[in-house]
Amino acid sequence: MNLLQDLTFSSFMWFLSGAVVLLAVVLGFVTYAIYFERKVIGWIQLRKGPNRVGPLGLFQTVADVLKLLLKEDTIPRNADRFLFILAPVIAFVPAFVVLATIPYTSLLQFADLNVGLLYYFALSSISTIGILLGGWASNNKYSLLGGMRSAAQMISYEVPLVMSVVGVVLLSGSLSLNTIVEGQAGGFWQWNILPQFVGFIIFIIAAVSELNRTPFDLPEAESELVAGYHVEYSGFRFAFFMLAEYVYVYAIAALTTVLFLGGWHSPLPFLDFIPAIVWFILKFLSIVFFLFWIRATLPRIRVDHLMSLGWKVLLPLALVNIFVTTIVIELIKYFK
Amino acid sequence: MLENFKDFLLNGENLLFIFFSMLVIIGAVFLINLQKVVHMVIALATTFISLAGLYVLLEAEFLAFVQVLIYAGAMTILMIFGIMMTKHDRQNEEPKRPLHNGLLLLGSIGFFFIIYLAIQEAAFPIQEFTSVEENTELIGIDLFTWHVIPFELVSVLLTVAFIGAIIVAKREED
Repeated sequence: MNLLQDLTFSSFMWFLSGAVVLLAVVLGFVTYAIYFERKVIGWIQLRKGPNRVGPLGLFQTVADVLKLLLKEDTIPRNADRFLFILAPVIAFVPAFVVLATIPYTSLLQFADLNVGLLYYFALSSISTIGILLGGWASNNKYSLLGGMRSAAQMISYEVPLVMSVVGVVLLSGSLSLNTIVEGQAGGFWQWNILPQFVGFIIFIIAAVSELNRTPFDLPEAESELVAGYHVEYSGFRFAFFMLAEYVYVYAIAALTTVLFLGGWHSPLPFLDFIPAIVWFILKFLSIVFFLFWIRATLPRIRVDHLMSLGWKVLLPLALVNIFVTTIVIELIKYFK
Repeated sequence: MLENFKDFLLNGENLLFIFFSMLVIIGAVFLINLQKVVHMVIALATTFISLAGLYVLLEAEFLAFVQVLIYAGAMTILMIFGIMMTKHDRQNEEPKRPLHNGLLLLGSIGFFFIIYLAIQEAAFPIQEFTSVEENTELIGIDLFTWHVIPFELVSVLLTVAFIGAIIVAKREED
């Protein structure tokens, strides 16, 4: 399927049904990602985690979501009503839309854009507007502070995030995610994580920060800000903010797999008989597990440390990474 | 005459064009008419994003997503930040000026007719447009071979502005 093909009614219906299936998959992922997050953190901290609702507590998240949906939907009287309602939508829609260019296998992909990577970063920056507006529209100083912090953090870390993948783009010579994966075929020594190890580390750190997760979850630091930008939100509007956050976990894990871990390719050539999608899912899930792991084991860092880490460490490192990558590529070209 | 309209509307691409261009205009009109500044910025963001949609229709994906990244993402957030830091009480309603409005209406109708006649007269020669698959790559090659000096000059200009901003901010801090 090509995004730029003629738009007819039948192709529109195709896209629509595909999008509905993807939404169902993502919702299923989010439901069980939350369950496993609580389970894994519980195990790491020597607790049991959710174990009451359903067998092994498997229906815990379903029950939580049901509670959120049944909750009274409150809007503060002095809030900006229109923006208060709009903000969760602005935060969620880009989170889902960025999934369109992620290639799961060489065939299973919604749109093979030749600027796929740019598409991802461009649209994900719109979510920040939603968070900032949610904080402002609530008319509450804690939520405003949370929204401000969140926007400042997301803007500062978007710069190293984008810079860190420039090395990958240079190596594969394309912004298309499909081409980037194709360039990593033939065993794990071809994966971008090896030549771009510095880029990978910067990418992971900046990505965790973009996701507002521990150790960078300052926007919702409970002890300082009550809850962050969504203090005044309850019920399904709150659920939308949470959903957006977890859909971004999905998106970032998939993007890391595609950019650095060889996408759907198997680590060793003789393992090729295992279907490509299985490899993708395995790599994807290990990234998701990694995110849970650091959330359970690392403390939150201080707000001024956060900013100086972003601007004074990650950004120069990313620039040096680009510079060195370019020189090495040119040298290899020269001596060949 | 009506056949033309029917053909035009049956094409999905044209429908999308109408949709996006309407959003651009609606965003711009709301930007002027809304009362609260934050609402205005949202209207402006709608305009920016719909413009990107128009670029996608013209098969300029690179331009479209750079538009989203810079205007819808960075610029809008910058403006929201600027607005939030300052206090905005609602301004008084503007006094009603019926004569003004009447003259405005007359002017608009006159302008519409002039433009309408001009468009009726104008001939738009159809040019062959061949879309290239790798237009992003071509932009890069063009930028770094034929236009490399302007490109470098712009980067120097931006660096100067950047350093200047830091110096101005520092001076206020002291």
